[in-house]
Amino acid sequence: MSSTTPSLLRGAGLSKRFRDVAALDDVTIALQQGTAVALLGPNGAGKTTLLRILAGASSPSAGSVSWEATAVSGVGWVPHAPAVYRRLTARENLRLFAALESAPQPDLFAEELLTRADLTRYCDTRAGELSTGTLQRLNLAIALAGRPSVLLLDEPTATLSPDQVRRLWTWLDELRRDDGLAVLFSTQSVDEAVRHAERMVVLNAGRSVFDGTAAALIDAYGTAGVSETDAAEAAFLNLVGAPA
Amino acid sequence: MTGALHLLRKDLRLLLRGRGLLAILIGYPLVVAALVTIALQSGERRPAIAFVNLDTGNRTVRVGDRRLSVADYEQRLANDVDVKRLAPTAAAAALEDGRVSAVLTLPQGFISDLQSGIRSPEIGLQVSRRSPIEAQSISRRLEAAVFGLNQELAGTYVTQTLDLVRIIVEGGDIAVFSRSGSILGLKRSEVLVRQLQAVLVGQGQRLLANRMDPLLNFIVEAGVNLDLADAAATAISRPITLKVPPTPPGREPLSAFGFAGALLVSLALVGVLLSAAALSAEREDNTLVRLRRGLIRPEALVGEKVLFAAIVSAAIGLVLLVVVALGTSLAVDRWALWVPTLLAAGLAFGGFGVLIGAAARETRGALLAALMLALPLIFLGLFTESRIASAISQAVPFGPAFRSFQTLLVDPSVSSSGLWLRLGQLVLLAAVLTGGAALVLRRRSES
Repeated sequence: MSSTTPSLLRGAGLSKRFRDVAALDDVTIALQQGTAVALLGPNGAGKTTLLRILAGASSPSAGSVSWEATAVSGVGWVPHAPAVYRRLTARENLRLFAALESAPQPDLFAEELLTRADLTRYCDTRAGELSTGTLQRLNLAIALAGRPSVLLLDEPTATLSPDQVRRLWTWLDELRRDDGLAVLFSTQSVDEAVRHAERMVVLNAGRSVFDGTAAALIDAYGTAGVSETDAAEAAFLNLVGAPA
Repeated sequence: MTGALHLLRKDLRLLLRGRGLLAILIGYPLVVAALVTIALQSGERRPAIAFVNLDTGNRTVRVGDRRLSVADYEQRLANDVDVKRLAPTAAAAALEDGRVSAVLTLPQGFISDLQSGIRSPEIGLQVSRRSPIEAQSISRRLEAAVFGLNQELAGTYVTQTLDLVRIIVEGGDIAVFSRSGSILGLKRSEVLVRQLQAVLVGQGQRLLANRMDPLLNFIVEAGVNLDLADAAATAISRPITLKVPPTPPGREPLSAFGFAGALLVSLALVGVLLSAAALSAEREDNTLVRLRRGLIRPEALVGEKVLFAAIVSAAIGLVLLVVVALGTSLAVDRWALWVPTLLAAGLAFGGFGVLIGAAARETRGALLAALMLALPLIFLGLFTESRIASAISQAVPFGPAFRSFQTLLVDPSVSSSGLWLRLGQLVLLAAVLTGGAALVLRRRSES
């Protein structure tokens, strides 16, 4: 961990085995309030497994997840495939999840989330009829129904068009800045990681092989004389090995 | 618990929103019930049989003071079946093309054999092999008809024999088995012997008179014993009497069986498919991953799906019962017992469904697996002839549910303790299946 800020959420020595396969092997990660961390790695590196464990959707074979004593221990989970009831409207989805998260006034809070996610226009549209980008905003809004202090996103922009990506990140950056949310997102895009994360954690074959800033990644593995994004991408490929 | 209620409300809302699904859920059991009713009505209709009379003598047989002819016999059969008089070849053709279900042949000499009383006349019966169930039913009906005729003839023969006995005792004219004449009778014989003895004693031939005492004793003893013949002969003609209590109106076993079967098939499929689909839909919508993050425990989640299936199948069951109560003569009452019975059955069906839904990866697979597993077990619940079938049907919800439905439909004085015991079995099965589903769900979430 490169930051000296106290950790809001910390996963220590996390391992996960599926029969004989080690999906995650002794990974330690910490998240600080208001910061964004990008989780990079090739397919099968263990990114989703780590996110699922931190989200409480899966239990680790070894290691532990702990919260800072004073932190509000709420995790907002944005899975890769939108986790919404497709036959319910956007409003009904938000009301239901706000109620399930025991929000004091779920209906009112759902309206607030609709506004924040810019979904007011689609509030009575069934989720299954929403466009991919709108559906992803609903997916994120549902994750916020529990008023989390940490937001975990599994490749949130993988299926979005560039304008939808920009729109989503504008909102995520607002959430970090205004609400102080810690954000951990997995991505296949080094460019996205460089643009939106203060830190990068690189996983390879279930192990954490790098945890630091983009500059540190370039310093350690990159090539001088190119742009930061290109250099970071080259450094990443040097670290995990170029695809065949 | 609150979370489960929120999800239950969501599931019911989605169900009510899907008008097509709702129409299928209500329409399907109604169609099944209608088909079963039609099938039962066809089972209760009078089967058609061909009647071939090869005894063309047009003779009648006299049994005592009664005369029987082939026409009388045909008339008796017509009470049970629809009789078509046909020639042998036409009868064979009718049996072949399905116009009749059986051919009954009265052989030549039928009346003569009956008249002689020496040889039992035989009737030939050939049933269709294309409809074995109906053929079995016809065989039984005709066996019953022949049995009834035999009993009637036996009764007539016994009456005739008793008349003969009475004449032997009292004396008089006699006409049995084509023989006629007049006999003295034991009582008049006793009077004559006593008069003869008195004459002999008066003539001083006491010794000769005494020698007639054994004859007199025989006449007296025979008379006393023949007086007992009436009761003995009646007992011999009907050694065992079958006593069948009358069936209360609206509780005919066949109709009750049919409707209980229709109720089982409909509600079991609704309960099993609905719960399996509802749980696997959580996985397909990817919402399971959110719910499993501490929003709801696996036990509560599968329990909610089971309750959802139970509520819907019980509601559909009540709709069916109301329709049947209004539209048929079947006795559907005791609503206070029907409601817990339908709910307990629905819970057990739901438990069966969630176990499949928890194991399946997606909804279509869950529905297919649920259908393939449930159908044979449902039919096993309906027809538990062997011990193994009975044991299997008791281990799954369908057997106990069917017997509970049947009890409420057939038995007018249903034993509450027996019914509650069966409902307890259903609830226990629901709990075990739900627990199993929660375990599977927990394991599947980790993989």
